[in-house]
Amino acid sequence: MEKMAASSDIREKLRKKRRALQDTLVKNKNEDDIQALVPSAKFNVDNQPTAMKEAEGSDEDPGESLRRTLRAQREKRKTKLLEQSFVQDEDVGEVSPTQYNSPNEGPSSRVDDSVVSTRPPTGSQRGVSVKSEQPSSSLHLDTFVTRHLQEKLRAARSKGESLQQQETSRDSSEPVSRLQRLKDRDTITRFDREADPTSSGRDDDPLTLRARVKFREPARRVEKDFPTTEEAYNFFTFNYEPDRPSKPESKSRKRQKQRDGVEEDDRDENGQEEAEVEEEDEAEEDNQDQNEFQSEEAPLVRNEDDLFVIDHSPQDFVEVRKAEYVGLKKRVQRDRELLFTPSFRTVPTSVKLPENTKPRFLEEEGLYVGQRPAVSLTNENISENRILKMAEGSKWFGDDGKILALPDPIKESSTRPPLFHMDEELDPALQTVYRKAMKSQYANLYIAGATDPEGDYQLDVDVSGLIFSHHPLFSREHVLASRLAQLYDQYLSRQQNNLAGHLTEKLNGLRKALRNMMRIHGEQGSSEALQHRISEYSLEVRNTRQLRDLEQEKDRTLLRSIIKVWKEIKSLREFQKYTNTPFKLFLRRENVDRALDEWEYEGEILKEVLELEAESEEQYQKKLAEYNKQLEEWKLWRKKQKAKRKKKKKKKKGQTQDDTEEEEQEEEEEQDQTESEDPFEEAPVKPEVPERPDIGSLEQWVREKASRIRRKPGEAILVPELCTSGGVTASDLCPRAEIARREDVSRRSLFIKILYNYKEVSRTDSRSLSTDFRVHFGQIFNLKVLNCPHSINLQVFEEIGSSYSLLAQVFVPVPDPSVVTGRAPIEEIEFSSNQHVMFDHEGVGSDVPLSFESDGSNKLTLLTSGKLSCCVSWGIGEEGVPLAPPLSQHPGGTHRGLGHLDAVSYIGASGLYDMKKIGEWAVQSRLDPNDPKNTSIMHLLKVASSGEVTDPDYFRLEHLQEEFNFVSDQEMERSKRFRLLRLRNQEAPEFRNYKFVSLLEREVSDKVFQDYEKRLKEGETIDTRQHLDPHRAVVAKYLQQIRESVINRFILAKHHYQLSDLVIEEEIPSIGILGINLFKLAESKRPLKPQRKERKKVTAQNLSDGDIKLLVNVIRAHNIPIRKPQSSKPGQSSQSAVQGSDWYLSQVQVRPFVEVSFQRTVLQTTTADGPNPSWNEELQLPFNAPNGDYSTGSLQSVKDEVFINIFDEVLYETGPGDKSRATSIHTQIEKHWLGSVKIPFSTIYSQSKIDGAFKVNTPAVLLGYSREHSSTSVYDQWRSTQGGTFVRLFITVEPQLVPGESIREKIKEAEFNSQEDERLLQASEKFEKHAAGGYPDRPCITTVIDLSGKTIFITRYIRPLNPPREFLDAFPNNPQEATSLVARYVSLIPSLPDQVSFSATCDLLSTCDQFLTLLAGDEQEHAVLLCNYFLFLGKKAWLIIGTAIPEGPTAYVLTHEQSGYFIWNPSSGQFYEKGDTFCPLQTVGCLVNSDNVWFNIQENPSPLHTNFDITKAKMWKPFFSRSFSHPGLSSVQPEELAYRQTDKAAAAELQDRVEKILKEKIMEWRPRHPTRWNRYCNTTLKQFLPKLEQGRGQDVAESHRVELQNLLGDYRISGFPLHLPFSEVGPIIEAVHSTGVHNIHSSNVEFALAVYIHPYPNNVLSVWVYLASLVRT
Amino acid sequence: MAELHIIGQIIGASGFPQNSLFCKWGVHTGGAWRLLSGLKEGQTQVDNPQTGDMAYWSHPIDLHYATKGLQGWPKIYLQVWHQDSFGRCQLYGYGYCHVPSSPGHHRISCVTWRPLGSWQEQLAQMFVGGGPQLRNPDLIYSGADRYRLHTETMGTVELELGIIMRHFDKYGVES
Repeated sequence: MEKMAASSDIREKLRKKRRALQDTLVKNKNEDDIQALVPSAKFNVDNQPTAMKEAEGSDEDPGESLRRTLRAQREKRKTKLLEQSFVQDEDVGEVSPTQYNSPNEGPSSRVDDSVVSTRPPTGSQRGVSVKSEQPSSSLHLDTFVTRHLQEKLRAARSKGESLQQQETSRDSSEPVSRLQRLKDRDTITRFDREADPTSSGRDDDPLTLRARVKFREPARRVEKDFPTTEEAYNFFTFNYEPDRPSKPESKSRKRQKQRDGVEEDDRDENGQEEAEVEEEDEAEEDNQDQNEFQSEEAPLVRNEDDLFVIDHSPQDFVEVRKAEYVGLKKRVQRDRELLFTPSFRTVPTSVKLPENTKPRFLEEEGLYVGQRPAVSLTNENISENRILKMAEGSKWFGDDGKILALPDPIKESSTRPPLFHMDEELDPALQTVYRKAMKSQYANLYIAGATDPEGDYQLDVDVSGLIFSHHPLFSREHVLASRLAQLYDQYLSRQQNNLAGHLTEKLNGLRKALRNMMRIHGEQGSSEALQHRISEYSLEVRNTRQLRDLEQEKDRTLLRSIIKVWKEIKSLREFQKYTNTPFKLFLRRENVDRALDEWEYEGEILKEVLELEAESEEQYQKKLAEYNKQLEEWKLWRKKQKAKRKKKKKKKKGQTQDDTEEEEQEEEEEQDQTESEDPFEEAPVKPEVPERPDIGSLEQWVREKASRIRRKPGEAILVPELCTSGGVTASDLCPRAEIARREDVSRRSLFIKILYNYKEVSRTDSRSLSTDFRVHFGQIFNLKVLNCPHSINLQVFEEIGSSYSLLAQVFVPVPDPSVVTGRAPIEEIEFSSNQHVMFDHEGVGSDVPLSFESDGSNKLTLLTSGKLSCCVSWGIGEEGVPLAPPLSQHPGGTHRGLGHLDAVSYIGASGLYDMKKIGEWAVQSRLDPNDPKNTSIMHLLKVASSGEVTDPDYFRLEHLQEEFNFVSDQEMERSKRFRLLRLRNQEAPEFRNYKFVSLLEREVSDKVFQDYEKRLKEGETIDTRQHLDPHRAVVAKYLQQIRESVINRFILAKHHYQLSDLVIEEEIPSIGILGINLFKLAESKRPLKPQRKERKKVTAQNLSDGDIKLLVNVIRAHNIPIRKPQSSKPGQSSQSAVQGSDWYLSQVQVRPFVEVSFQRTVLQTTTADGPNPSWNEELQLPFNAPNGDYSTGSLQSVKDEVFINIFDEVLYETGPGDKSRATSIHTQIEKHWLGSVKIPFSTIYSQSKIDGAFKVNTPAVLLGYSREHSSTSVYDQWRSTQGGTFVRLFITVEPQLVPGESIREKIKEAEFNSQEDERLLQASEKFEKHAAGGYPDRPCITTVIDLSGKTIFITRYIRPLNPPREFLDAFPNNPQEATSLVARYVSLIPSLPDQVSFSATCDLLSTCDQFLTLLAGDEQEHAVLLCNYFLFLGKKAWLIIGTAIPEGPTAYVLTHEQSGYFIWNPSSGQFYEKGDTFCPLQTVGCLVNSDNVWFNIQENPSPLHTNFDITKAKMWKPFFSRSFSHPGLSSVQPEELAYRQTDKAAAAELQDRVEKILKEKIMEWRPRHPTRWNRYCNTTLKQFLPKLEQGRGQDVAESHRVELQNLLGDYRISGFPLHLPFSEVGPIIEAVHSTGVHNIHSSNVEFALAVYIHPYPNNVLSVWVYLASLVRT
Repeated sequence: MAELHIIGQIIGASGFPQNSLFCKWGVHTGGAWRLLSGLKEGQTQVDNPQTGDMAYWSHPIDLHYATKGLQGWPKIYLQVWHQDSFGRCQLYGYGYCHVPSSPGHHRISCVTWRPLGSWQEQLAQMFVGGGPQLRNPDLIYSGADRYRLHTETMGTVELELGIIMRHFDKYGVES
C-alpha cells in the first residue's frame, strides 16, 4: 500500500519526537508524559519519578547514565503504552462482541459474561482515574484511535511472541479466560522489548504482521477460544469499511513505525533482562485496572463501536503465570556464595596484632587513656572479625589489640536539663505575669526594657494600734500610772537582761581566775607573761566591777522610783477617793537567809576592799617608781650642774675642796639653783614624794557605796509586780470634774490617715478612746503603688463629735524591698505633739505645767505622746513574689548574670550591697570556697570581714569590648561632628533648629561650640559687662536659673499630648448651624458693614519663614498733640495763643502718620491731617520666628514687640540757592515723634487678635507741640480733659495660629505637689470649672503656681505689706500723694510677661519679696504688690482678675474710697474711676482679697456696669462660703518687706554709661552723616530731667520750654523726654531707635541727649532720656 | 567611629487574632553604640483596619548611631498590643529582629510570640482579656534560657529598613 511508502519518513519523525521526549524527561521529572494522550498516566506517576530520579541521580560514567535514561525512558513509555492499552482493551472488549456475537445478543452482557466468567477473582477496584478520559468526542477519538491501534498492534505482536514463549505456563492456567489473557498480554507488552529482536522481522509489513497475529492467535487458541475466527473475520470486514478504516489504518501504520523506533532503541540496550521481575509486578497492577475498565466503561464505548476497527480481544494478550519461587535451600546456598557473615567469636589477640608483637597496654604504662565507649562484646567481636577480613584490616587495631577508639564522647549528664516538673519554680527571668487587660493609662509609657513601667507593687500598711503615754485627758492618776507602767516596763526589760547578775558572775569568774594565777605566781615565781596577764586580769576585774556597780545602782534606783511612784498613786487615790486606773503594784518579798546574805555581803565588801587596796597599792608603787625615776633624772642633772659649777669654782678657788664642802655647796646651790642655771637647759622640777593611799578610808567608802547600791544584808528581795486587776471606781461615785473627764474621754475617738507621698490614700475606722487610753485598730491596708514611694505618713486624728483635729504625725520609713509582709515585725513608733490643751475638768491637759507636790513645786510639763504600733512592708504576690520595686534599675545594656539569681532571690536585690547578708547567705548555702566559680564572692567576703569594705575598682559591663573597639572613647568624645549631632538632637538652645551638619569631620569648626561652652561656663560666673548694673546681672542669672528649673519641670507636662495636639479635626456642622448658614445666604449683603469672619487655625509646625504675617490695621487716632507756632521770641508765645483762631486757620495743625515697626521692618501709613486723623489702613509685616522654629513653644518665647509710633510729618522749606528761589521750592520732610504704643508679640500670639483703642505713650513734654485744642467740639473738649492720645488698632496674625494651650491644665494632670489641702484644691478646681462653664470669657483664678512649681491658693498672696519708708514720709499729711507715689513705684518695676520668661504659658506668681528681688514680673505680680501696699496704707483693696487691652487676661487693683471705686493699672501706675470709658480693663472676672475670692456673676462684666459690692450674693459668688469655710490659710508673703537703700552713686554711674551708649548708638545709626552734639543743650536738658522726675511726669514743663527757647533761640527744637523703667539697656536703645530722631538728615542738624536715672529703694530705677534735635534756622 | 543610619518604618502587622493593634518598639544596642539623633523607642498609634487583616502603622524610625565596635549591633524589639472595644490594652506578642547589617533597603518580617500561661490564665484571657506578660521585658532580646517558657505564635510585624553605613570599611568591616 502506498502508506507504506511514506512509512520511513514518518518513522524518522517519530524517532525525533521520541528523542525530544527523552530529553524532556531527563530534564524534568515533574513534567510527566505530556505526550500521553490518556492522562491517566498519573496513575503511574509513582513509577515514573523513581525512574527519573534514577536517571537524574546518575553521575557515573556517561554510558551508565545514558543507559539509565534509556531505561527510564522505556519505562515511561511502557506505562504510557499500558494506559493506552487500557483504552484499547475496552475498545476491544467492546468491539469484539460485535464481532463474535450475533447481533441479537446483548453485546455488553455478552462481553461481561465472557469477561466475568473468564476472569479470576482478582480484586479489581482501581483505575478510577482513567475514567474521565473515556468520553470520546470525535475529535479526541482520532487520536485515541490511532493510539489504540498502535497499541494494539504492538500488543498483538508481543502477544504472539509471548504466546510462543510461554505456552507451557499458559497451559497450567488453562481455564483462564480473558483476564489471564489480558495479563499475559500485558506482560507481553512489557516483554515486548525482549520480543522485539525476534519480531523485528515482522515489522517490515504491518499488514502481514497483523495478519500473522491474527492468524497465529487463532491457531493457538483453537482449542480454548473459538471466537477468534469471528474476530478475525470481523477485523477484516471492519477494515474494509469505507472512510473509517483508512484512518486507523494509517494510524496503525504510524503506530507501527513508532514501535519500530522503540525497537531500535531497545536494541541498543543491553541489560534488558534486569527489568523483568519488576515489570511483572507492574503488569499485574495494570491488569487489574484494565479489568475495571472493561467492566465499567464498556457500555459507554459501545455506542461508538463503529469507530473501532481492530478486533483483537484482550484475551489475545493475556498470559497467566505462576509465582516464581526459589527453594529455601537453594537460596541459602546462593546467599552463602554471595554474603559474608562474620562470626561473633572472640578473635584471638595474636591475629589482631602484627606478628611477634605483644599487646601493649598504655594505661598500665601510666599514660592517659580515656574511657572507651561502651560496646557490647558481641558487636565488638563481629566488627573485629569483619575488619580482619578487610584489606589492611589490622591497621584498625591498636597496640593493645583492641579496635582503636576515641574516648567516650558522651557526657554523663545531659546538656539540657530535663523538663520533668513543669510546675516547679520557673526561672525568675522567665516568669510571666498575668495582667488584666488594662486601660491605656500606662500606655503612654514606653517599654524600653530599662524602666519598668508596670509598677505592680503593693505596700501593706498594718496599723495595729495606739497607746498614749500621755494624753490631755489623762487624769493625774493616769499620769502617774503611765509613769509607773513605763518604769515597770523598764524594770522588766532590765530584769530580763539581768545585766547586774551577768556582771556579778563575770566578776566572780575573773576573780577566781586571778586568784588561781596569783597562786601559780606565788608558787612558781613570776614570769613576764604571767605578770602581764595578771595585770590584764586585774584591770578587767576593775572595769567589770565598776560596770556592775553602775548596773546595780540603776536597778536599785529603778526599784526605788517604782515604789515611789506607786506610793504617790496610792496617796493620790486616797486623796481623791476614787481610782481611775486598774494598776496595782504588788511587792513580793523574797526572804533570804540573813546569815548567808550577811556573809556574802561582807565577803563582797572585803573582796572589793582588798582589790581596791591592791589597786591603790599598785598605783602607789607605780607612782613611787615614777618618782624614783624622776628623782634619778633630777639627780643626774644636778650632778651635771655641779660638775660645771665645780669647774668654775676650781678656776676660782683651786682644787682643794672637800667632799663635805661639796655637800654644803650642794645645799647652797639648791637654793640658788634657779638663778645659776644654764639658760639653755631647763631644770627638771624636783618630784614630790607620792602619798601613801589611805587604806582605812577605802573600806569606809566601799561600805557606803554598797549600802547605796545594794540590798542591805538580810533585807528581803523586793520583786514588784504590776497588774491591772484593780477596780476602777464607777463614774457615779466620782466627783463631777472626774465625771466630766470621763465623759470627755468617751466622746473622743481616733482614727489614722495614711498618707502616701503626701496624699491621703486611706484611713482607718474611727475607734473610740478607751479609758486606759489605748486604741486598737488592727487594720491592714494594701496600697497598690504606682509612684515611687517617698514617704509614708500616718496621721493620728482625734475626733470629737463631728470635728476632728490632727493630733500627731508619724513618719514611717519606706521599707527596704526585702521587707516583705509576714516577715516584718510590728514596730512601735513614738509620736508626740506640742498641742496646747487645757481642761476645766480633771484632765491634766497637754503642754500645761503640772505638779504633784502640794506646794506646786517641781512642775512637770507633759506633752501628748504615745506609741503607734504599725508595720509597713511590701506585699507578696501570688507565688510569693515580693511586690516590691527593684532597688535600682539596671542600665539598659547589661546582661544580668543570671547564674547568681539564687543569691539574689535569697537576699533580695538590695541585700547584694549588704556584706553581712551576703556572708549569711554564703554560710547558709555552704558555698564551696574552693570552687573557682565562687572566688569572687569569697574574696569579697574576705575583704568585707577584714574590715574595710572596698568596692572593686573596676566594673566591666561587656567583656572583650575593649579588645574589639574600633576607636577609644576619648576619640569618640572628641568628634566634633558627633557632638554637634547630639546637641542638635538634644535641642540645646544654641543648636535647636540647626539645619545642616557637615558630613565631614574637618568641616565642623571649633567655633560652633564656642557659644555653647561659654554658656556652660557661665553657669556660675556672671557677666556684669552686658548688664551695666551688677544687681540686675545677678537677677538675670537667677531668673535664668529659675527658668531652667521650671522648664525642666514642665517638660513632663509638655509631653502629655492630647488628641487635639496631634489631630486637627474640623467640626462637622450640625443641622442647626447649617440652617443658620443657609439663612445667611438669603441675607442681604451689606458691603459697607464688613464683618470679620472666623479664620481657620493653623498649627505652627507646618509653617516656615515668610508664611506668617502680622497684620496691623491702623484705624484712627484721637487727640494727637498739635504743633505750636514757631516763634523765635519767647514773648510771642502768648501772643500766638491769642491769635490762635487765625493761626489755626492758616496753619496746618498736625500731619500725623503712623509707623509700625516690628523685627526691624518698618512700614508707615499715609499722612493724614488734623489731631483726629483717620487712616484705615492695613499694614502687613512679615514675621520670622527665632531660628525658623515655628513650634508653639518657640513662638511663645518670642520677645519682639510691635512698636506703633505716631509721627508728625513736617515740611520745611529749605533755602536753596537764591537763583532758583523764584522757580523752585525745596522742601525738607522731617518727622517728629509724638508717641508710641508697644505691644508685645506674645500678647498678640496668645490672643490671636487685638482690637481696641490704645492709649499712646506720649512724652511728658513735646517740644513744639501742645495738647491744647482749639477745637470747638464738645466731645473733643471732654476728651482732651482726659489727657491722652488714643489710637484705634486692630492687630492680628495671618494665618491664625493656634495659641499655645496653657500648661496649667497639664500641670494639674502632672500633679505638681501642693501644700494645699486636698479638699481646697478640689473645691478650687470645681469653682474654676464652674466659672468657666458659666462665663467662659471671664477669667477666674483661684490657685496659682509659685516659683517652685507648687500650687498655692491665691488668697495667700494678699497681705498688707509696707511700702518703702520714704514714700510714707514724703507726704505725711497727704495720703493721696503717697498712694500715687506707691503706684508709681510699682509701675517702675519692669514688666516681663511670664510667657516670655518661662517660654510656656504658665502662670507663675512670685511673692512680693521675690518680685522685688527679681525686679521683673508680669501684671499679676505688680497688681499683688500694689494691692498689698494699698492694704498697708489702710485702703480697701482687691485684686481684679480680668481682661484688659492690650494685655489680655491680667490683674488690676480695685480700691474703695469715699469717692467711689478706683481701678488701678499696676504696670502703668495710672488709676481710673469706675465709670471711665477709657479704662483699659474690659471685663472683671473675679476679685481677690486675703479672705476670699469672688467670682463675677453679673450680666455685664465690664467695669462700667459692674457693681463692686461683693456682699451681694446675686452678683458675686464667693469661694469660701458658709458651706466651705475659710480654713485659715496663712500667707506666703513675708511679714515685712525689707528695702535696700538707694545707691545714688551707682545710679549716677549707670546714668553716664547709658548716656554714652546711647550717643554711640545714635552715631552708629547715622553712618553717612556727621552727628553733632549740642553740648549746651545737653546740659540744659539734663538739668531739666530731675524736675520731670519730681513732677512724676506731669506736664510741668511749660516754663522749661520757654526757658529752653530763650536759650536756644536760633534753633528749631523738636524733642521729648522718654521715660521708662530700667531693666536692661536694650529696651532703652530700642525705644530711642523707635522715635526715629536719628533719621533727620538735614545738614545742619544738631542733637541733644540727656539721661537721668533716679534711684528708688531696692534698686528700682526710673530712667529718663531726653532727646532733641536742633536745626539752626 | 563608624556610623549607622537606620531609616525606615514599621509598616504594620498581620496574622494576629484580632485587629486594632498597636506596637511598642525600641532599639537595643550594646554599650559601644551611641545614639546621635533620633528616638530609639516609641509607640505607634492604634490601627483598626477596615478591610483586610493587616494593621498599618507606617511608623517612622529614623536613628543615627555612632559606634566604636560591632558588639551589640542594634536590634529592634517589638511588643504588639491589642486594644479591644472597651479601650483596654492587652499584649499580643513579643518579637525582635536584628537590624540588617548590610547597607541598602531591607524588608523584614518579624514574627512574634506570646507567653501562653496556665490553662486557667488562658481561660481567663478568653473571657476577660489580659494575659500573661513577661515580668522582665529584657527577655525579648536577651539570650536567657527560655526553653521552659510556653508560648504561642502570633502574627508578623513588617518592617522596612534602609541601612546606611559609614566608615565601617575604615575599620576593616566589609559591608
